[in-house]
Amino acid sequence: MRRWALPIAVAALLALAALVLVELLRPAAAPTPAEQAQQVAGDLRCPDCQALSVAESQTAAAAAIRRQIVEQLAAGSTPEQVRAYFVARYGEWILLVPTSPFAWWIPAAAVLLGIGGLAWWWRRGRATVAPVMQPVAGRAVREQIRDEVEQLDA
Amino acid sequence: MRVPWLRLLIVPLVVLPLAWLLFTGLGRDPRLIPSPLIGKPMPAFVGTTLEGDRFSSADLAGKPAIVNFWASYCIPSCVDEHPVLLDLAERYGEGVQLVGVLVNDTPDGARGFLARYGQVSWPTVLNTDGGISIDYGVTGPPETFFVDARGVVVARHVGPLTAAVVARELAALGLTP
Repeated sequence: MRRWALPIAVAALLALAALVLVELLRPAAAPTPAEQAQQVAGDLRCPDCQALSVAESQTAAAAAIRRQIVEQLAAGSTPEQVRAYFVARYGEWILLVPTSPFAWWIPAAAVLLGIGGLAWWWRRGRATVAPVMQPVAGRAVREQIRDEVEQLDA
Repeated sequence: MRVPWLRLLIVPLVVLPLAWLLFTGLGRDPRLIPSPLIGKPMPAFVGTTLEGDRFSSADLAGKPAIVNFWASYCIPSCVDEHPVLLDLAERYGEGVQLVGVLVNDTPDGARGFLARYGQVSWPTVLNTDGGISIDYGVTGPPETFFVDARGVVVARHVGPLTAAVVARELAALGLTP
């Protein structure tokens, strides 16, 4: 079991790295204006809902924001400029994805802590269980038994 | 059992950050979020009033102003703050200019509200496309912005106005009843 742990972990890491590489190197198709608008709307919080994006919400406020997104993109604004436009009015709160790097470190730290805790727990478990399984009969006893059985057979 | 102190350490290490996250994350409320507009010039707007007149925010220049976002469906908050607005208009008189802005409401709905809860002396702008709400970052009615004589936003109040809030914010603008 333990023999396979390292190769499996390495294989999993390689697979993950390959996925990330493919995602990064894939030629990005230029999004259509409608796709761009949908994406920006998905990044913005619907102001009069709880935990819904502007893209998902059916409220009049969300519809008004969607309209403005489409208009501003059509007028030549970049998606970043459109997002900044709404941040200037509603504050950072309007963004569903936080811009603060701190927000990403906390979950990453939690995952690392969890992995560390699991590893510690696993090692501790092995340390107490493994030494219990000692052969009941030693080498000398086994040889003696074999000799006696051979004598009986002879 | 070799390292009980380590186990004891796990409790604050895991529980405290989680509690902090839950407290700050789930406890977040749009009402408590400060407006990025404070200290900035009020977003300009023009529109048609309930009476059919043209209104421009440029007309507010030179005197402190209160921009009040409301709607007839906003019950009980807008109903609760209505007498506060009527009272403030009467007591502060010419010292402060009031302007209402409708939020996702029909003119008929707004007129019905005023007929029921009391006619007002100040204009209400229709805001049909919701553009003014977006420019002010309004999350829902009622929401009120206090603007100084230079046209700079000095305060935002989310939720129904109270006499105490009005007195405090207008005193900050140098106004007394």
